[in-house]
Amino acid sequence: MSIEIKSLHKSFGAFPAVNDVTLHIETGEMVAFLGPSGSGKTTLLRIIAGLEFADRGEVYFHGENVTPKSANERKAGFVFQSYALFNHMTIFENIAFGLRVAPRGKRLSQEKIRERVNSLLETIQLPGLANRFPSQLSGGQRQRVAFARALAVEPRVLLLDEPFGALDAKVRRELRRWLAEFHEKTHLTSLFVTHDQEEAFEVADRIVIIDKGAIQQIGTPDEIRSGSGNTFVKEFLALHI
Amino acid sequence: MASFIDFRNPPGSDRRADTAVRATAEPRWIRRILIGIVVFFFFLFLLLPLVVVFQGALVKGVGVLKEAFTDQDILHSIWMTLIVALITVPANTAFGIAAAWAVTRYHFSGRQVLLALIDLPLWVSPVIGGLIYVLLYGRRGYFGPWLQAHDIKIIFALPGMVMATTFVTFPFVARSLIPLMQAQGVEEEEAALTLGASGFQILRRITLPKIKWGLFYGVILCNARAMGEFGAVSVVSAKISGKTNTMPLEIERLYNDYLFPQAFAVASALAILALITLGLKTLAEWKNKRQFEAGQRSLLEPTIEATR
Repeated sequence: MSIEIKSLHKSFGAFPAVNDVTLHIETGEMVAFLGPSGSGKTTLLRIIAGLEFADRGEVYFHGENVTPKSANERKAGFVFQSYALFNHMTIFENIAFGLRVAPRGKRLSQEKIRERVNSLLETIQLPGLANRFPSQLSGGQRQRVAFARALAVEPRVLLLDEPFGALDAKVRRELRRWLAEFHEKTHLTSLFVTHDQEEAFEVADRIVIIDKGAIQQIGTPDEIRSGSGNTFVKEFLALHI
Repeated sequence: MASFIDFRNPPGSDRRADTAVRATAEPRWIRRILIGIVVFFFFLFLLLPLVVVFQGALVKGVGVLKEAFTDQDILHSIWMTLIVALITVPANTAFGIAAAWAVTRYHFSGRQVLLALIDLPLWVSPVIGGLIYVLLYGRRGYFGPWLQAHDIKIIFALPGMVMATTFVTFPFVARSLIPLMQAQGVEEEEAALTLGASGFQILRRITLPKIKWGLFYGVILCNARAMGEFGAVSVVSAKISGKTNTMPLEIERLYNDYLFPQAFAVASALAILALITLGLKTLAEWKNKRQFEAGQRSLLEPTIEATR
C-alpha cells in the first residue's frame, strides 16, 4: 500500500517538530527516516500511525484520506522502540491481542487465532515460548514478539520506531538481516525510524534524511552516498561514517 | 536518612544502601533508646486502645454483646454504614479512575488545578465537608427552597450523608492510581490502539489489569474512610438513632447515654472492619509495589530518545 503525506505540520508549543513535510512512499517500499535525536522523525512516524495528530496537512493510505481517522481505524502495524508488550499477558496472548479485539463480525474463530499465532511464532523463530511472559524474554526475543504482534492483524503498512535501538550490536545485526529478509519475502510497505546510518543504508530501499522537522534529502542509499545533499546532509554523514 | 549524602557511593550504586546504614549507624545505646521510644508509643497509642475496645465490649459478658447486636437501632446503624459505603465507594472508584486517566493521559489547561482540587478533602476538616452541603442543600441553603418545593430531602437524610462521605473519600482512589499510571506510561495503550482496540477494550484489557492492585488499594482505603467517617456525616445527619445514624454516630450516642458495653460492642465491630481492611491493604500494597516496579522497569529499560 502506498503512503502519501502532504505538507504536514506539527508543533509542540512553540517548537516545530514536523515542518512542512511532503512525501510519497510506493507500495512495497522499505523507507528509513534517518536523522539526529530530536529531528522530528519519530513524531512524523507517529502522525502516520495516528498516534499523534498534525496541526495541518494530510495523510493518505493508498489514495484514501486517513487524516481524521484514529490509530485504531488506520491499523498501521506499529513496533515501538521499547516494544510495549503487554506485561500481564503471555506471549501467545500478546500476539493474539489484535485478533481478539477485532469487531465481532470480523473476528476469527478460536482455532483460526491459534493457527495464526502459532504460525507467527514459527516466523519469528520462537515456537516454544507461547506461554512465557514478556519479562522472561531477552530484548531480542521481545522485539521479535513485538513484530509478530503487529503482523498478526495483517496491517497494510508496517511502522517501526527505532526497532533495534535498545539492543546490543550483535542482536541488532541479526534482527536487521531478519527484517530485510522478511521484507524481501512479503514486500509489506515499511517505514522505520533510526539514527543509525549503517542500519538505514543496509536495510532501506530509500532513505529520508530529516533534521529540524524538515526533509533534507530523499534518495536511494547510492544517491545519498554520492554526496549530492546539502550542507547538513554532508556534515551529518561525515560525522557518522 | 534523607539528609545523608554518600559521596563514595552515589545514588544508584548497589552498595549504597548497605554501607549507608553502617556509616550512619548511631552507637548501640542510641539505637536502643530510639527503638524503645517507638515501641512504647506504639503500645500506648495504637495497640492498647484497640485491646481496650475489645475488652470494653466483653467486660459485661457475651450476653450484652448478643443484646447489642440484636438491638434494632444498632442493627440499623450498621445497615446505614453499609449503604453509605456501598454507594460512596463505587461512585468514587469510577471518579478516581476517570480523574487518574485524565490527569495522566491528557495535558489540558487546568490540569494542575484539578490535581490540587482532588486533594482538597484531605486538607480541610471533614466538618467543613459536611457544612458546605448544608449551605447548598439545607433548608436555608441555595437550593433549599427549590428542594423543599419538590419535596426532596437531602440534608438530615441519606442523600446528604452519602454526599458528605463522598466528599471526604474523594481523593483515595485517584491518589493511589495517579503515581502508578504515571510510572507505567501510555505505550501499552498506544500499542493496543494500533492493533485496532477500542477505548473500552483498552480500559478493560490493558489499563485495568495493569492497575488492579493499585485500584484495589485505593478502594479499600476509600471504604475504610467511608465506614469510619464521623465529622462530615454528623453535620448532615440529624443523628436520629434508628434512622440516620451510622456506626460511628451510633457509638457516640450509646456512649453519651452511658451504655458503655454497647458502645464498645459497636466500636469493636467497626474495629474488626478496620483490621480486615488493614490486612487487605497490606496485601494490596505488596502486590501494587511489584506492579509499580514492573511498570518502571519496562519504562527504564530501553534508552528512550527525546523527540520533543
